[in-house]
Amino acid sequence: MPDQEDVVDLLLAQHARIEELFAAVLAGTGEARRESFHELVRLLAVHETAEEEIVHPLARRSIDAGDDVVEARLAEERAAKELLAELHDIGPDAPSFDSRIVVLRDAVLAHATYEERYEFPQLRHSVDADRLRGAARAVRAAEAVAPTRPHPGVESASANLLAGPAVAVFDRLRDAARDAMRH
Amino acid sequence: MFNPLDHQGIPLERQLRNWRELDVDPIDPLAADPYTRCRIIALNGIEVEAILFSHHFARTCTDPEVKRQLAEIRYIEAQQQRVVNWLLPGVPSALETTIAYEQVAVDLTSWVARMEPDPYLQQAYEFGVLEDFDHLYRYANLFELIERRRAAKVVDDLTEVMPGRPTKAHHRHPVDNVRDPYDRTTVDPLSKLHALTIMAAEQQTMNFYMNVGPQYMEPIARQLYQEIGLIEEEHVTHYESLVDPGETWWERLVNHEYNECYLYYSFMTQESDPKVRAIWELHLNMEVEQLRIACDLMRRHDGREPADILAPALPEPVRFEPNKEFLRNLLATQIDLTTLGAGYVREAHERFERMQQQLHGGEAPASERVIDEHRAKFGDEYRIETAGPHPVTALRGEKQHA
Ligand SMILES: [Fe+2]
Ligand SMILES: [Fe+2]
Ligand SMILES: [Fe+2]
Ligand SMILES: [Fe+2]
Ligand SMILES: [Fe+2]
Repeated sequence: MPDQEDVVDLLLAQHARIEELFAAVLAGTGEARRESFHELVRLLAVHETAEEEIVHPLARRSIDAGDDVVEARLAEERAAKELLAELHDIGPDAPSFDSRIVVLRDAVLAHATYEERYEFPQLRHSVDADRLRGAARAVRAAEAVAPTRPHPGVESASANLLAGPAVAVFDRLRDAARDAMRH
Repeated sequence: MFNPLDHQGIPLERQLRNWRELDVDPIDPLAADPYTRCRIIALNGIEVEAILFSHHFARTCTDPEVKRQLAEIRYIEAQQQRVVNWLLPGVPSALETTIAYEQVAVDLTSWVARMEPDPYLQQAYEFGVLEDFDHLYRYANLFELIERRRAAKVVDDLTEVMPGRPTKAHHRHPVDNVRDPYDRTTVDPLSKLHALTIMAAEQQTMNFYMNVGPQYMEPIARQLYQEIGLIEEEHVTHYESLVDPGETWWERLVNHEYNECYLYYSFMTQESDPKVRAIWELHLNMEVEQLRIACDLMRRHDGREPADILAPALPEPVRFEPNKEFLRNLLATQIDLTTLGAGYVREAHERFERMQQQLHGGEAPASERVIDEHRAKFGDEYRIETAGPHPVTALRGEKQHA
């Protein structure tokens, strides 16, 4: 029922998937680990960008003390992005990868928990259901620029997306999200 | 075997901890052993009971010297509770923790049912465990419905998630929740520890649900916490009525402290997380001294020897472990039981029917609707059936999602 899904449902499902991927990366080895990490980077980029471009602006306008809540979330996202960019650049085979991904994981989990406690319920409370469903459509449209699974051996859009430095990934997604909001 | 009466603990005046010592590191929110979380929740229930019991004792106690002694021990119990419960990390939601609470109820009650020497008491645990088993299934469906998480992340594959005795049938007339007590003069000392342990766990579950339920905005979540919270009220009634009310306050104090020793010792021998294990060990050494003081009070005020009411050594340590086959066997044989007076029957008797009618008013309660809503949203219900299809044919679901 993706059409009835609102943006909070969509982001919660992404939080759940992000948790699973962190667990898979930490437990995995070799190719499986690289694949999980690849999917994690992609999903985090999609997710955080969608929040920054679509969800936080909505929260800023509609919830109590929206500015403060959103500023705190944005600061967490900046810190997480820096960690993510570093990890993406050193890659899952680097010796310091394990200890650093735990730091990233804890930052991302804490950030997600803050959103689920201080932002999402308030959004559902003060924004009407149609707008929340519309925001979900915009998030999905932005996500569409990064296909879900990179096909091994094929230069897919997702592989291209992740080929360069992590910063470029965020830039590209931001443009896509802004585009989606205009339609 | 370990006998806490033969050991020397930490002197009470050295049991107080400062803020730095109280500020413990929580366990990992994603990678911790699910049974480490279960041991934390179970011991939290035990410490909460230690505190509440001591408060009740103090309220009926006329001797100011004893009141002061109780206050001193109770403050330490309160610090122990703050340390134990603060081992839980802040990341998981109340609902995620709720699923862990039901996992505790399922696997701890199963253990106790398997070890219980008295058949009447054993029946009480077998009866109750099938209800918390069903709560786990209802909350797991709520968890995916409103938080998009799967209960597997909490219970792993240690505890199965599938229908038990249907939650809507747990709402009995309150008088049918009162069981007959054991006889303190003839009962096996292990039975007293079992009753105290499960009563404490259910009491903490009741407290938790009745306080966190209204923190949810989703109507289905608010309603499900209300419904299951009221069943936990029934469970506390059920289990507390097993305890002989003729035990003196002094005797009960000794039993409480002894039980704390038993559980810290048990979980210390099983604990996989070294930091957590160190806390169980420290607390055991505190409890040994608290037990010594309780024994002195009993000798002085009751004129009786505590060794006469206690086991000669701690029983076999309590273990958190999977109970899948045990539960499947109960599902196959006891799912349709209810209670009548202090006993058990299979037919829905008149008092049960009347209570059901008054409470449900012909409508489906939240425990039913949460499954319907999950099916409407995801096309199926959430289950974890790792050991085969449901043992009751009528409760086999359609296909599960992967
Ligand atoms: Fe998020
Ligand atoms: Fe204690
Ligand atoms: Fe329960
Ligand atoms: Fe219960
Ligand atoms: Fe104690």
